[in-house]
Amino acid sequence: MTTPTWDELGGALPNEEFRAASEAIVANIEQVIEGKSATVRLALAVLLAEGHLLIEDVPGVGKTKLAKALARSIDCSVRRIQFTPDLLPSDVTGVSVYNQETRDFEFKPGAVFANLVVGDEINRASPKTQSALLECMEERQVTVDGTTYELQAPFMVIATQNPIEMEGTYPLPEAQRDRFTARIAMGYPDPRAELAMLSGHGATDPLNNLRAVADAALVRRLIATVRDVHCADAVKQYAIALVTATREAPDVRLGASPRSTLQLLRTARAFAALEGRDYVLPDDLQNLAVPVLAHRLIPTADAQLSRRTTDTIVADIVHRLPLPHDRGRSPYDTRPVPPVDGRQYESRGR
Amino acid sequence: MTGRRRLGLVAAGATLLSAAPLSAIFDRWTWLIQCTLAVGLVAGAALLCRTLRAPLWAQLAAQLGTLLLVLTWMFPSTEEFLGLLPSPETFARFGELMVEAGQDTRSYGVPVPDRNSLLFLTVLGIGAVSILVDLLTVVLRRPALAGLPMLAVYSVPVAVYVESVPVLPFVVGAIGFLWLLVADNVDRVRRFGRRFTGEGRDVDVWEPSPLAAAGRRLAAIGVAVAVLLPLAVPGLTTGLLTQLTASGVGNGPGNGPGGSGRINLFANLSGQLNETRTFEMARVSTTERDPFYLRFGVGDVINETGFANRPPTGRSVTRGNLPDPRQTAAAGVARQQYRATVQLTKDFNMNLAPSYASVVGTEDLNSTWLYDTNAQVIFSNRESGSDRTYSFDYVRTLYTPQALRTAERVPESNPVRQQFTDVPPLQEVTDLVANLTRGADTEYDKVRAIYEHFSAKKGFRYSLQTEPAASGSQILAFLDSKIGFCQQYAAAMAWLTREAGIPARVAFGFTRGGLSEGAYVLTNKNLHAWTEVYFEGFGWVPFDATPAAAVGGARSAWAPDVDAVTPSATAATPTGTTGTTAPDSSAGTAADQTRDIDEGLTGTTGGPVDSGPSWPTIALVAGAALLLALLAVPALLRRATRRRRHHATAAAPVTATAAAGSRPVEVTSEVLQARADAHAAWDELVDTMLDFNVPVDPTETPRTTAQRLITRAKLTGEPAESATLLGRAEERARYARQPLQGGELITALNRIRRALGAAADRRTRLRAAVMPPSVTLRWKLALADASERLMARSTRFRDAFVRISPRRLLTARPKH
Repeated sequence: MTTPTWDELGGALPNEEFRAASEAIVANIEQVIEGKSATVRLALAVLLAEGHLLIEDVPGVGKTKLAKALARSIDCSVRRIQFTPDLLPSDVTGVSVYNQETRDFEFKPGAVFANLVVGDEINRASPKTQSALLECMEERQVTVDGTTYELQAPFMVIATQNPIEMEGTYPLPEAQRDRFTARIAMGYPDPRAELAMLSGHGATDPLNNLRAVADAALVRRLIATVRDVHCADAVKQYAIALVTATREAPDVRLGASPRSTLQLLRTARAFAALEGRDYVLPDDLQNLAVPVLAHRLIPTADAQLSRRTTDTIVADIVHRLPLPHDRGRSPYDTRPVPPVDGRQYESRGR
Repeated sequence: MTGRRRLGLVAAGATLLSAAPLSAIFDRWTWLIQCTLAVGLVAGAALLCRTLRAPLWAQLAAQLGTLLLVLTWMFPSTEEFLGLLPSPETFARFGELMVEAGQDTRSYGVPVPDRNSLLFLTVLGIGAVSILVDLLTVVLRRPALAGLPMLAVYSVPVAVYVESVPVLPFVVGAIGFLWLLVADNVDRVRRFGRRFTGEGRDVDVWEPSPLAAAGRRLAAIGVAVAVLLPLAVPGLTTGLLTQLTASGVGNGPGNGPGGSGRINLFANLSGQLNETRTFEMARVSTTERDPFYLRFGVGDVINETGFANRPPTGRSVTRGNLPDPRQTAAAGVARQQYRATVQLTKDFNMNLAPSYASVVGTEDLNSTWLYDTNAQVIFSNRESGSDRTYSFDYVRTLYTPQALRTAERVPESNPVRQQFTDVPPLQEVTDLVANLTRGADTEYDKVRAIYEHFSAKKGFRYSLQTEPAASGSQILAFLDSKIGFCQQYAAAMAWLTREAGIPARVAFGFTRGGLSEGAYVLTNKNLHAWTEVYFEGFGWVPFDATPAAAVGGARSAWAPDVDAVTPSATAATPTGTTGTTAPDSSAGTAADQTRDIDEGLTGTTGGPVDSGPSWPTIALVAGAALLLALLAVPALLRRATRRRRHHATAAAPVTATAAAGSRPVEVTSEVLQARADAHAAWDELVDTMLDFNVPVDPTETPRTTAQRLITRAKLTGEPAESATLLGRAEERARYARQPLQGGELITALNRIRRALGAAADRRTRLRAAVMPPSVTLRWKLALADASERLMARSTRFRDAFVRISPRRLLTARPKH
C-alpha cells in the first residue's frame, strides 16, 4: 500500500482548477443535504484544513448523511464506526492477532486506517474507546504493541453526537474535543428545503446515486493549495487576540488552546481558498470563530447557570474585539470597554 | 415649577444679595433699584425660555438680549428705535459711558454720587454676573463655581475702598451664596427621588435633619470665621493687634489734644487712616467749585525719624493784613478769592484750624489763633480746634505748566533754599534723582520728572498695609518696594525734590471728601499728605504723587494724574477747566455745585471721548473675525486632510500587474504605493462616514464596514459599487500579497460623498461642511489621550511619593 506522507501532497492547483474541484464537491454534497450550503462548505473547509469535524445536533437532521455524503463524494477509502458502549479501543485502532500459518502475530488494521473515518454517535462509547482516537487524530499515526503505523493522507475523522438525552453517554473529554477542528450544528432545514427533501427522498435515497467527484490525490493537491494561502501578520495577530480573549473572558473557566489558534488559521485559509481568495481576511476568522473555538471552552458555573453558552461567549468576543490595525492604533476606537461582568448600569434619566 | 426654573430664580436672588457690598460705594440706593430690575428681567427671560423648553443657546441669548434691552432703556442715547431697540448710537453712548466711568473712578472718592456712568457700569456688571451665575448654576450645575463671579462683585468695594469694607454686606453676600448652594443640593436630592424619613414619611425641604443641621452649622461657622479671622490677624488693615500697638505708643485716635508743635503728624496720619471706625472730623463748604485739599500742617524739617514739623510761629489772625499772594503777580497764574466755612467736630482734637491755601482773612477765630505765613497754617497755642466753626477768605492760585517753566532756580542766598533743601545724604537717592532729572531743563520739568516717577507705570502701588515711612531708610524701602500710601508718596517726593536742590515740604490735610448737602464731609479716612514745592516767584505749589484713584484725590493742570488714560490731553489744557468756569459759580447754590462739579469733571475728561465709539467697533469686528476664523479651523483642517489624501491617491501609477504567479509578498515601490493609496482612500472614506453620521466600528473589517455603509446609507448603483471597491482595495492592501492596483479610488470617494450628501438632511450636511465630526472627534480623542497620560504621570508621581513617605517607612520597619 503506497502511503503518501503528509509532506508529499503534490503541487498546488491554479485558482480556477481549485475552484472547479471544490465547487464540484460542494454541489455533489448539496444533492443530498439541501439548503445547507454554509454547513457543507464549512465541512469541506475542515477537510482541506487537515482537521476533524464534530457534527453535533439533535437526531434526524442529517448529521450522518452529511458525513456519508462527504465521504462518498471523494473517491477514497472510507470507514464507518458505530460507537457503542461495548466498543473497544482495538476495534478502532486495530489489533495484533496470532497467525497460525506464519506462526507470528499479524496486525489487523482497525477502522481508522482509511482516508475518511465516520464515527457515529461518538459519545456513546466509553472514554476508554474514545481515547483510542487521541493519537491518530493529532499525530496521524497508530501505535499498537509498540509498532507505529502511519495513516494515509488525507485523513479526517467526522464524528457525530447528540447533545440532548445524555443518559448512558460519555461526554467527550476536553483533550478529545480539542482535537476536533470545528464543531458544527446542522440546524433544521427551512421549509423549502424540507419540501424538496420530501419530494426527492420519497422514491430513493439520493445518497445511493452519489458519485465521487474527487479522489484522494486531488484532495491532497487541494490541501497543498490551501497551505499556500497568504496570511498577513495583522490577521495572525487578530487570531491570537481572539484566542487570548477567550482565555481572559470572565465567563470561561478554560480558554482555547494554542492548537486552536493553529487550527483556526488553517481553517481560515481553507475557507478563504473556497471563496476564491489567496489571502485570509479577518472576516474569515470572524466567521469561523464560533465553530472552531466554542466547543473547546469550558464555561464557568455562573455562566452555565445564567444559560450563557460558549457559542454566545465567543460571538460576544468577536463582536467586542477591535481589529488589529497594522498602521497603529485605530483613531476611532471610541467604544467604552463594557463592564467585565457584562451587566450595564443604565444611567438614570431626568 | 421644576427644579431648574426655581434654581434660576434662586440664582438671581443670590446674585442680588452678593451685590450688597456695593452699598458701601454708592451714596444713594438708585443702583439697587436698577440692578434689581435688570437681574429680575434677565432671570424672567431665562424662566420664560425654560418654560418653553428652549435650547441652551436660546436661553443664553435671551438673557444677553434682555440685559442689552434693559441697559438701552435705562441709559438711552435718545436715538433708539421705538425707544427700546439699540441703535449704533446706543453702543456709542455705552462706549462713552465706559470711558466716563473710567474717569469717574479716578475722580471720585467713596461714597460716590449717582453718576450715570458708574450706574451703567454697575448694572452691566451685576447683569453679567447674574447671567454667569445662572449659567454655572442652572445649566452647568456647578453652583460652587458661581461663587467666583459673586466674589468678583465683592472685590469691587474692596478694591475701591482703601480701608476696611463693612462686615454686614459681606455676610449678606455670603448668605446669598449659601442659599444658592442649599437650593442646588435640595434640587439634586429632589431629582434623585423623594426624600423619606425612616418611617417612610415624605420630608419637607426645611425639615431639621442632623445632616442638614450640621451643614448649616458648618456654613455659619465658615461665615463667622471669614469675618472674624481677619480682625485678629496683624498686618491687615484693621488688625486688632495693629490697633493695640497703635494706641500703645499713643498715636491712636483720642490721644488728647497735643501741643501744636510736638504732635507727630505722620504718626497721627497713619493711625487715623488705619482706624476701623470712620468718624467725621470736619465739614467744609466753599464758594469754590472744585477746591483743592484742606490743609492744616506741614512737615518741613527732616530729623532722624523723617519729616517733622517745626514749631510754628506767627501772628494773630485778628490783627488782619495776612499776606495776600495777589500782591506778587506772576504771569500765567490765575488767582481768585473764595470764602469757605469750616465746621470742626469734637473728633478733630488738634489745636490747628484747617484752611485752604493762602488765607487772606478769617472770621470767628479769636486772637489766640495765629497764622504762620511760612507754613500757611492757622494754629493756636492755647485752644483746640475741636467743635469749632469758623470762616475764612482765601485766594486760590492756579498755575500753568508754561508759567511754572519760567521759574528760575531758587538762589542759594534765599533762606527758603537753605531751609528746605536740607536732606541727609543717601547715595541711592542721589543716583535716582540724577537719573530722573537728566535732560530736564527747567526746575518745573525736574519736579515733573520726579512726580511722574511715582506712577503705576513705574510699578508704584497704593496700599495702607505698610509701615509709615519718612526717615531715610524707610524712604529707600518705599522706593524699592514701591508699595505705600500717601505719607510715603508725599515724603518720598519731597525728599527727592530736595535732593534735586529744589525746596520742598510735606503738607498735611484732607482730601476733598464726599459732598453732602452742599458741604464736603471730611472724615478720618480723608486725612492725607502731599508734597509742596517752592518755585521762585510763584511760592509753594502743591503736587500730590499719591495715586488719585486710591484716595479720590484732586489733580491739577500742573500736576496731572500720571495714571490717567490720556495724561497728555489733560496736561495740555492751558488752565484747568475748574479755573475757567470758576467765576460763574461764586454765587452758586449747593445744588448747583453738585451738578457743576459733575459737569466740570466731565469737561475735563472730555478729551478721550472722541476716540470712544471707535474702539468698541474695532474690537467687535476683530472679535467677530477671530471667532469666524476659529470656527473655520475644523472645516479647513478637514479640507486640507482630504486634499492631502487625494493627492497621495492621485499620484498612484496605474499599472496592472499579474496577480497570479508570484507567491511571496511583493515589496516593490508600485506595490507600496498602491497600498498607501488604498489606505489613504480608506481613511478618507472613514472620515466621510463620520462626517455624515454613519458610525464607524473598530471591530469591523473593511468589507463589513463597506457593506454596512451601503445598507445604512441605502446606497445603490455606482455609489454602492464604489463603496465595495474601496472596501476591497483596503482589505487587499492590508491582508493580501498583491494590493488592488489601478482602481478609480478618488472617483469612488467623490461618488460616495455626493451620495451621502444628497441623502443627508440639511443639518448633517452643514455640520459636515462647517464642523466635521471627524476633526472634532480627533481633537476629543487627542484631549482624552493627553489627560490619560497626565493621570498616569500623576499616579506614578504619587506612587513614588508614597514610597518615600515616612509613615510607610515606619510601618515597614521590623518590630523588635
